Amino acid sequence: MLVVRRREGESVLIGDDIEVVVLEASANRVKLGITAPREILVFRKELELTREQNRMAASADGLALSRLAGALDTLRPQRRTGVKEN
Amino acid sequence: MPDCLTKYFSKMDYTEDSVIRLPNGLPGFEHESEFVLIDQPQNRPLVFVQSLRTPDLCFVALPVLSVDSAYGLSVSSEDLEALGLDSTRQPVIGTDVACLAILSFGEDTLMTANLLAPVVINLKTCVAVQAIQPGSNYSHRHPLLSEEAEPVCS
Repeated sequence: MLVVRRREGESVLIGDDIEVVVLEASANRVKLGITAPREILVFRKELELTREQNRMAASADGLALSRLAGALDTLRPQRRTGVKEN
Repeated sequence: MPDCLTKYFSKMDYTEDSVIRLPNGLPGFEHESEFVLIDQPQNRPLVFVQSLRTPDLCFVALPVLSVDSAYGLSVSSEDLEALGLDSTRQPVIGTDVACLAILSFGEDTLMTANLLAPVVINLKTCVAVQAIQPGSNYSHRHPLLSEEAEPVCS
């Protein structure tokens, strides 16, 4: 991994047509501005992680479910219940 | 009463107030905007999130407070707006919103809950979003139950 130190207002270029500029930096977060061609998708990594996780979640089958139900049975007495009661 | 085909319960009746609407769908399932929440006493605390459009699409979820009783919401102002909620304060789970963590089942039998991006449902309108919380330290793969049966649930 390439590591580059930058200050506010400075930027890095990726290839010919992508620029990432540091707009604001504080102790625990930075605000980035990204200029890229329309065909380059830019999104937070958490979105991709959630997309992958959702796909995996959707592929569950009855077997996975019965295993889960069995495991939950042993826990049930001390668990909270119900979607509207949480 | 309307009915629908479901992934795990064949055909079943549902009531309109158990339908949630996600204007943007879910990441990876952007065209799925209507789901029925199936919350049966015998399966609690599990909640099944069944697509109305695709019978074979059903997520299994747990209320986030079942996974982590100290769970703290940090919904972005964009998501609060999409939910039609006051964007100047965080909603209260149980009063303003219901909050579900989608479960995943890995090949290694590990079960995980996505605490990074819970499904947040406006209890008044049943509008929902999967709210990614970038500022939080919650994991998209929070271990739930492992082979060693060391429950993280409380």
